Amino acid sequence: MTDETEIKNEATQSASEEEPRVGVFVCDCGSNIQGAVRCPDVTEFAATLPDVVHAEEGKWICSVDFLNRMKEAVKEHNVNRCVVACCTPRTHEKLFKATVAEAGMNPYQLEFVSTREQVSWVHKTDQNLATEKAKDLVKAGVAKARLLERGREIKLPVGQKCLVLGGGVAGMTAALAVADQGYEVFLVEREKQLGGLLGKVNYIAPEHVRAEDVVKTLTDAIAERSNINVYTGAKLESIAGYIGNYSVKVSSDQGEAEFHTDTIIVATGMREIDCDGQFMYGEDPDVITQLQLEEKLRSGGVQGKKNVVFIQCVNSRNEERGCCTIGCTASVKNARLIKQADPDTNVYVLYRDMITVKEEYVHLKEVMAEGVNFVRFAYESPPEVVKADGGLRVKVLDLQLGEEIELPADLLVLQTGYHGPEGVDDIKGQLKVSANADNFFQEQHIKLGPLDFAAAGIYLAGSARNPKPLKDVRDEGYGAAMRASIPMTAGFVEAEGIVAKIDLTDCIECGRCSKKCPYGAIKLVGDEGKTPEVIEALCKGCGLCAADCPKECIQVVHFTDEQLMAAVDALTEKDADKKIIAFVCHWCAHGAVDIAGVGRMDYPPNVRIIRVMCSARVAQRFVQHTLDRGAAGVLVAGCEFPTCHYITGNYECKDRLEKLRKKLDKKGYDTSKVWEVWLSAAMGPKWVATQKEMVKALGLEDKPI
Amino acid sequence: MSEASESVLIIGGGIAGITAALNTAEYGYKVYLVDDTPSIGGLMARLDKTFPTNDCSICIEAPKMYEVKSHKNIEIITNADVRKVEPSNGGFKVRVLKRAMFVDEEKCNACGKCVEKCPVTIADPLDARIGGTRKLVSVDFPQAVPNMNFVNILCRQGKMRDKGACIGGCVVDCSQCRECGVALCVKACRDEGKGAIELWMKDKWLNLEVKSIVVAAGVKTAAIEEGTWGLDRYPNVIDYMNFERLMNSGGPTLGEIVRPSDGHHAHKIAWIQCAGRGDKGLNYCSKVCCMVAAKQTIITKEHDADVECLVFYNHQTCYGKGFDEFYKKASALGVKYIIGKPFDVTEDPDTHNLILRYEDELEGVIKEEEVELLVLSTGLEPNDRNEKLAKVLKIELDRNGFFKESDPINAPLESTVPGIYLCGGATGPIDISESVVQATGASMKAVSKR
Repeated sequence: MTDETEIKNEATQSASEEEPRVGVFVCDCGSNIQGAVRCPDVTEFAATLPDVVHAEEGKWICSVDFLNRMKEAVKEHNVNRCVVACCTPRTHEKLFKATVAEAGMNPYQLEFVSTREQVSWVHKTDQNLATEKAKDLVKAGVAKARLLERGREIKLPVGQKCLVLGGGVAGMTAALAVADQGYEVFLVEREKQLGGLLGKVNYIAPEHVRAEDVVKTLTDAIAERSNINVYTGAKLESIAGYIGNYSVKVSSDQGEAEFHTDTIIVATGMREIDCDGQFMYGEDPDVITQLQLEEKLRSGGVQGKKNVVFIQCVNSRNEERGCCTIGCTASVKNARLIKQADPDTNVYVLYRDMITVKEEYVHLKEVMAEGVNFVRFAYESPPEVVKADGGLRVKVLDLQLGEEIELPADLLVLQTGYHGPEGVDDIKGQLKVSANADNFFQEQHIKLGPLDFAAAGIYLAGSARNPKPLKDVRDEGYGAAMRASIPMTAGFVEAEGIVAKIDLTDCIECGRCSKKCPYGAIKLVGDEGKTPEVIEALCKGCGLCAADCPKECIQVVHFTDEQLMAAVDALTEKDADKKIIAFVCHWCAHGAVDIAGVGRMDYPPNVRIIRVMCSARVAQRFVQHTLDRGAAGVLVAGCEFPTCHYITGNYECKDRLEKLRKKLDKKGYDTSKVWEVWLSAAMGPKWVATQKEMVKALGLEDKPI
Repeated sequence: MSEASESVLIIGGGIAGITAALNTAEYGYKVYLVDDTPSIGGLMARLDKTFPTNDCSICIEAPKMYEVKSHKNIEIITNADVRKVEPSNGGFKVRVLKRAMFVDEEKCNACGKCVEKCPVTIADPLDARIGGTRKLVSVDFPQAVPNMNFVNILCRQGKMRDKGACIGGCVVDCSQCRECGVALCVKACRDEGKGAIELWMKDKWLNLEVKSIVVAAGVKTAAIEEGTWGLDRYPNVIDYMNFERLMNSGGPTLGEIVRPSDGHHAHKIAWIQCAGRGDKGLNYCSKVCCMVAAKQTIITKEHDADVECLVFYNHQTCYGKGFDEFYKKASALGVKYIIGKPFDVTEDPDTHNLILRYEDELEGVIKEEEVELLVLSTGLEPNDRNEKLAKVLKIELDRNGFFKESDPINAPLESTVPGIYLCGGATGPIDISESVVQATGASMKAVSKR
């Protein structure tokens, strides 16, 4: 929706905006709905509902012809609330919203009823039952539509300044990509010089490039750009705010600095996990880590060492953490360098698995041909290091030989795991972002948002996220720069108008809403910093806060308590004891319902679906009220774990349902009527099976509805 | 948002292409998203779950697909090939051939009446081994974007008459006729009042002018020689993509893990990893198969904890965040991991079970296992069309047939021609997370000054 339409909608709102004037459009969908459902009956019925000023049937209401007809009807009858009864909101809601907006209506006052996927395609055997259900859903749709308020997209302005935390390869890559668009960059680095971990590395494999060349190319490029402000030997004193509005204080070798920034890229890198006490590290100077070996190789090599042994997976692939990702490549690379420098050296690599993705296998074969030995050991029988005959001896159970071997070592290299550097705890607290037990930051979603945090405006790149090859670090630097550049180039972030609204009248300032919001969209402000305030542009409308608020102070636009309960009331007005009221989340759960429809899977028609954006919206009071109304059963359907479109919603809902059952039990409710199902969008069959199960368990088989 | 000032061509509508398209469009550029199949979505749309979180694949991709469809800056061009690319004005002039699907995209809403009436069922190209079929007019998959049916090109060319097709063999040329009293699909759609099927539709040439090009042309499951470990000889030997589709509620068996020979549930299943490697096969590691096998065994156990799962492997390639933990999870569920590859597979002719003989490398003895279903993790290889596309774009392929990055460290994601960028499976074996990262990085390059 453009700004123009927005303004137009405000201005041309019908004169009687307080009085709802509902227009209902019932779709035949050719013979997809009409036939299984008697659409003329549904239309006639719709016209009798409260506040309905116009009800019309159409063969294909999504066709260009009918959309024009719809716009005419909206204008002609001064319609200010619209109900469409057709296919599925997941595909067509945007289309109808845009259409009514063009006719001057506020698009947030459109309610979508699904009479195809939820009725005609799945209840084919009895036209009467299907028609009654379609009417019921339209009735609920109208009841909700009457109460819908106006909404609008919300914009938050964003300028063109970017703070990059960390001056390693990821940070420098991102800084350059952002600066090259003309934006201002603040590059803050903890150490005295830029370069990060690569400052210690000798060569990069498998590309065989010198690390210092890579670093120099980047630092030279940074120095050339006057719009990159570099702070080294720096400490992040404080940072607060949100996208478009962060205040930052830094102290550094360049002095104290206070500035405002709009976006932040976290590229704080990683460090080796300490090996003290393992394999004689710290006791014997000939036991070193891989990075210490890199530094030695960079500054002259390992002359005089005749027996070099590498031990892989130290502090990795154990109870605490997984694979270090780059260890195999690093050891193969360095083993080769050492062997090539002096072919008389005995080089052994003690490994558990050898990860050689893509063409690295070719290098491994070459290295083996050059005489580097590879010995495989099991997790259960790690190598042992002892001092004997004035030197180190490594004992290991060789899996292939099936016997223990003993190797002399005058240099023992430990490929240890990695974790986040010092200072991550500080950043976590200040930015309100999370990290795992190893202080690797938690990206929003490992597949869909690998470089984002849940909170808008902060992005992530490089080994701050997890260890990875250098090439991947470079890719991520560019990626994070793009993520940050999108709002900076647009000049704003925009949120859909489905947002939380807090009425502070009864607020007890418990802070629960702010704490639980996965997006950091509720800030605590005021003199004591306890009053909750929704940053609407950051709110995704999941409704978790609204359902959890102990004083019921929070509502969600288009999904208020009043609107949802009006739908419940409409559906339970007649024959409540035969109906299952289902609160279904818009994303995966509704996807499963739709797929059952697309697959024409037949199931009993007792269920009446009320859509919510997230299962987290379903408050205890919703379930209780529905039971009070005499419903045969209540079903909550959300996304299958671990996926939730709103990150934590389904987990919160599940917890709440557990507590809710106990509470309702105590109050004397029959909680065997309260069901839950967690679906992926492909699980049509599971939705159908749940319906059949519920109908049977609730004794509804003999009560056709 | 400001008017799109520049435009970018993205070749390939899989997860990489979709990610690049959304980022570029959000940045304010116009995007042409071209895919050579009838729908965007790519490989990811057909998978069941994705490692290491076991998110349902289409569940997380479909919302992105809808976002692409409704984004005002993105134009989706499916069933189309990029045929000619020339440098022009600091950018490129591109000729795209949009092959006819014989269905009007604007009118069709995938109601499926045509599919109902079509008299011919053929083997589905993806799911043939596990009994998947489709009609000669069909939708690519249920969540297809654009959501529309298309007519099989062979049928339209009249080559399916001997299979019972209703068209082909007309004396009058389609484009002259426009009547078609013969085609059942055309009639069905007309009876619906839509008339969306137009057999006389012609291919369309499109001329685009773009600033940059992003190649997101993807990757495919590697094929191996017929007979290897019994593939395509014994019915209960399938590849890992087939298994993925067995697990998928949206697949031909509605998510039941059953044997092709008799449709019974399999109670003992073996995976052979690195099945595509060797002197005559792939000389590189396909990176993801270890995790795919872990995923497939975990999901199998979710379906039925009593199913015995064996994985024959060489090395656990558990390189990513959460991967080793995922592998440990499979082990903890009782999946048996065996180092080594069976050297012999034979079939019991009555039960169609497979008998595997292998050397247990740790014990040094020959052993035998009888399984009800055998899954070959064959790896990933370049798409057949890479060579043609490389010629059109004048960019180089590496020696394995993937698109070559000119300098992975100093100029990542750049092809050998300035202004043409690479991301995702086009560059080689890759997982979904990395594809998304690369696509985001490539989009930064695509919108930047050169």
